[in-house]
Amino acid sequence: MIEAVNLTRKYGNLIAVDNVSFKIDKGEVFGFLGPNGAGKTTTIRMLACLLSSTHGTATVAGYDTQKDPIQVRKSVGILTENPSLYERLTAYENMDFYAQAYGITDFVERKKRIQELLELFNLWDRRNDKAGTFSKGMKQKLAIIRATVHKPPVLFLDEPTAGLDPESAKEIRDLMAKLSQHEKCTILLSTHHLEDAEKLCNRVMLMNKGCCLLIGKPDELREKTSTGQVIQIDLTQITNTILQTLKNSAYVKEVNTKPCETSLWISVEDIRMATPEIVKTIVEANGQILGVNMLRVSLEEAYLKLIKAEGAKTQ
Amino acid sequence: MNFHNAWLVFKKDWLEIKRNWQILTPIIIVPLIFSVALPLIIGLIGNMPDANVSNNQDFNVLIPNLPISVQNMLANMTPNMVAVYIMLVYLFAPILLIVPVMVSSVIGSDSFAGERERKTIEALLATPISDSELLLGKILVCFIPAMAVTFVAYSVYMIMVDVTTFSTFGMLLLPNVTWLIMMFGVTPVIALCGIGLTIMISSKVKGFKEAQQISIVLLMPIMGLIFAQIFGLIFLGPLMLIMLIGIFAAIDIAIYYVSIKIFQREEILAKQ
Repeated sequence: MIEAVNLTRKYGNLIAVDNVSFKIDKGEVFGFLGPNGAGKTTTIRMLACLLSSTHGTATVAGYDTQKDPIQVRKSVGILTENPSLYERLTAYENMDFYAQAYGITDFVERKKRIQELLELFNLWDRRNDKAGTFSKGMKQKLAIIRATVHKPPVLFLDEPTAGLDPESAKEIRDLMAKLSQHEKCTILLSTHHLEDAEKLCNRVMLMNKGCCLLIGKPDELREKTSTGQVIQIDLTQITNTILQTLKNSAYVKEVNTKPCETSLWISVEDIRMATPEIVKTIVEANGQILGVNMLRVSLEEAYLKLIKAEGAKTQ
Repeated sequence: MNFHNAWLVFKKDWLEIKRNWQILTPIIIVPLIFSVALPLIIGLIGNMPDANVSNNQDFNVLIPNLPISVQNMLANMTPNMVAVYIMLVYLFAPILLIVPVMVSSVIGSDSFAGERERKTIEALLATPISDSELLLGKILVCFIPAMAVTFVAYSVYMIMVDVTTFSTFGMLLLPNVTWLIMMFGVTPVIALCGIGLTIMISSKVKGFKEAQQISIVLLMPIMGLIFAQIFGLIFLGPLMLIMLIGIFAAIDIAIYYVSIKIFQREEILAKQ
């Protein structure tokens, strides 16, 4: 559905996007992850035909962004960095303008579509209120709905939860999940909120300083940065026998404890193979187990690790 | 080019303008001053028997430029009547040309610079509306209100002049051929010229105020016409006005093509 090959954008000597290549399949929710200035917005602008590329090519919904920009724009719905709403126009008027701009000329069809979307996302009662009177979260919600008014096969969402309070951010995330199911479109989501990527994206591309560092599923991103896996085992009490037995086990790389706590943090190579064996070892050493947790590296930890590693490499 | 898209941009912008008092106030107040206050003051003062509106020597350079029939008519009038007649019928006519340029400057400055300031430009540029449709829509939203306000201003001015002077002159001074050519010929071409240049400026600068400050310069040629006529250098009679229509029409066409050529979505976005 979307393909970029060596996409590059320069501003004088500054390389905002550097030879980025990726492919997004139909129906996929793909995330651009990266800190501010990573090149996420510039890449989206190139794909939406708002900026031309200095080098490289891209196709969106089968249309070349350089040769067929009008067709690309017709196929794309976009939420820009700002909601881009006309604050003196009502919610309905905003939707109506964009519906017509994207080619829905039939009045009845347009009204039906706008009503469907506003009702689906609980904004129908506020349709006659000016967008300027909406809260930040509601504006963002309206802007996302507006981007989908013409049923685009591709949706670009640039920082949809930026600057929102946790409650509004959750609401927007739920809205995006609902949209992805309801509209069945390919979504390209740019964010530096890892929760967005973790909860919504099938795959993510990690970007920094204009370059693509990694493309993969959020799980793969974790695995690539993980130096091993950890099992947390809660016991009634920790004895020297248990510690000694575990240290002698072939499945255990390292055992950690914390003062005044009766939990063990055991580093292993393969968590699936090691967990039953370790539980068996503890029981044989007369340990009484209260709980077993398999700890995974969070996406946030993986992300920070990669960005840090990249920073160290360039220095 | 799809005219529907241009009309869509016009409708959206007009809805916004109608709800924006910052834009509406100057485009209502200034024409009101020109069309009501000026004829009222001059017309009423001219009605006072002992008033001395002006020394006729002030108009000595202008009177020889007037048509013979008008000169003969003026010869039978009192000095006060001559002064009132020349001011209301000839001197203030080009002043009303300020109205379309002022209106288009206020609305046109807001076109791209205003959208950029309110951060609505990116989503607009991402739509499939083409450059020429976008430009035409922005031109229409300046041209239609500018012409409407100007026609209302001209009409009010003419009514005010006739109402305040009829008792003194015993005839209707306006409209005459010069005023009709001015209204329906010169005003639209001058308005289009101002609009084209203002929109071009608006697409190149960062903010609405910057665009408006620069576009004030567009009033200079109008002021030039006013003073040139006062000092007798030109006379804005029918022939001169038709020549002006031709010149400004050519400039309008050139400005439209240059605007489309230099219209760069990327540059507009980069100014954000």
